[in-house]
Amino acid sequence: MDIRKVKKLIELLEESGIAEIEIHEGEESIRISRTSQVTVAAPPSAPAVTTASPLPEMVTGSGGSASTANETEMSGHVIKSPMVGTFYSAASPGAQPFASVGQPIEVGDTLCIIEAMKLMNQIEADKAGVVKAILVENGQPVEYNQPLFVIE
Amino acid sequence: MPRADPGRELPLLEILADGRFYSGEQLGKLLGASRTAILKGLHSLGDLGLELQAVRGKGYRLLRPVELLRHDAIISRLNGHSRSLLNELEILPRIDSTNRYLLERSGTGLACFAEYQHAGRGRGGRRWQSPFASGICCSVRWQFDRVAHPLSGLSLAAGVWVVDALRAAGIREAGLKWPNDVLYGGAKLAGILVEAKGEMAGSCQIVIGVGLNIDMPPVMASGIEQPWTDLKRVTGRQPGRNRIAGLLLHHLLTGLSVYEEKGLPGFQARWETLDCTAGRQVQIQHASGSLVGTAQGIDERGAICLRCTDGFRHFHSGEVTLRIR
Repeated sequence: MDIRKVKKLIELLEESGIAEIEIHEGEESIRISRTSQVTVAAPPSAPAVTTASPLPEMVTGSGGSASTANETEMSGHVIKSPMVGTFYSAASPGAQPFASVGQPIEVGDTLCIIEAMKLMNQIEADKAGVVKAILVENGQPVEYNQPLFVIE
Repeated sequence: MPRADPGRELPLLEILADGRFYSGEQLGKLLGASRTAILKGLHSLGDLGLELQAVRGKGYRLLRPVELLRHDAIISRLNGHSRSLLNELEILPRIDSTNRYLLERSGTGLACFAEYQHAGRGRGGRRWQSPFASGICCSVRWQFDRVAHPLSGLSLAAGVWVVDALRAAGIREAGLKWPNDVLYGGAKLAGILVEAKGEMAGSCQIVIGVGLNIDMPPVMASGIEQPWTDLKRVTGRQPGRNRIAGLLLHHLLTGLSVYEEKGLPGFQARWETLDCTAGRQVQIQHASGSLVGTAQGIDERGAICLRCTDGFRHFHSGEVTLRIR
């Protein structure tokens, strides 16, 4: 399922006040629920970055609904993909990755490259801090607005 | 790669570029240098991939004459409009990568050519080979104040501009393979890599890098993995490097100014008329496997459209190869 659709659904849910929504589309299905076990202290208008809950263990990979669900549970500053493409953690295969977990970074540091149709987009940190999590793997396809890094 | 410095050897090269014989004594006089310095200089030309012939009683000459890039000769191919878009033109004797160089600069409408690029960048960390004066290594830097159109379309549009420049130079059969390989008779003639930096909503800096093969020495060419060709092979003569460089710069600058307004939709129809694979069977290798279909052009976002057995499919990523049946 398209991540943009998932995002739309979440927005729809937030606006409507419905507690839970489940959609089936062909073989795919998704259920989005507002009543999570984690008590969200922040106002619902800003769900992504302000919760204090610890980062879940299984944040890497898998895209789709899993990463969307995690998005609402992450703390720290999330860096998202500006476009659909392929995620590269280093400038070339075998080279040192731009960023690794625990690494301090400055504003303007390159964190990764997103490639789409031979356009290499250098994604820079827009906030200084420490890389807390890298949410995608080298060579993995990413969607528009998919969370890539958590900076704290 | 040997570490010869073409900057230092440039005066010597400017004399030898015509391919005529010059004695060591003559060269020494012209350059005001000692015989030892000249010999050393001649030796290091070999390190740049240039082949030198020494004949007793005649002197030295380049086996293949080179046309060095000249500022005025490139500018003379621009018109009033493209001149107004160009803020700076640099010709560097040697650089690691013209893309890297311009990506670290600031400003818009900057162009950079290099006679020798020793760490040219390709997709996925592949290297772009470019021995001294054997091709054109060119990058153009542009700043978009707001990104009204998806950036990835830029890489396809750039393919259109490069092919249009080649066609303006009389290379009528040049065409494209998705996303932006420039081909001639199925072999790669030029490669394009676009690099970008900046925010989604705010301003964004991009650099378009073009590597065009003009006259590749066979000794360097043996390391290239895919079928390739160069302008000398396809035209049967030495194409003017400055002329091609000027036409290329003109088309890149004017194309960028149009892209700012129209995005890829402004070039989609043109891309499709230049598509070498249109209506042909291609195989696409993508993240989760490979698929065969008939190439049906691109959509407005730049994805390749294939007609497969189960209907139309669009791909944003993958490696396209023509199927020979």
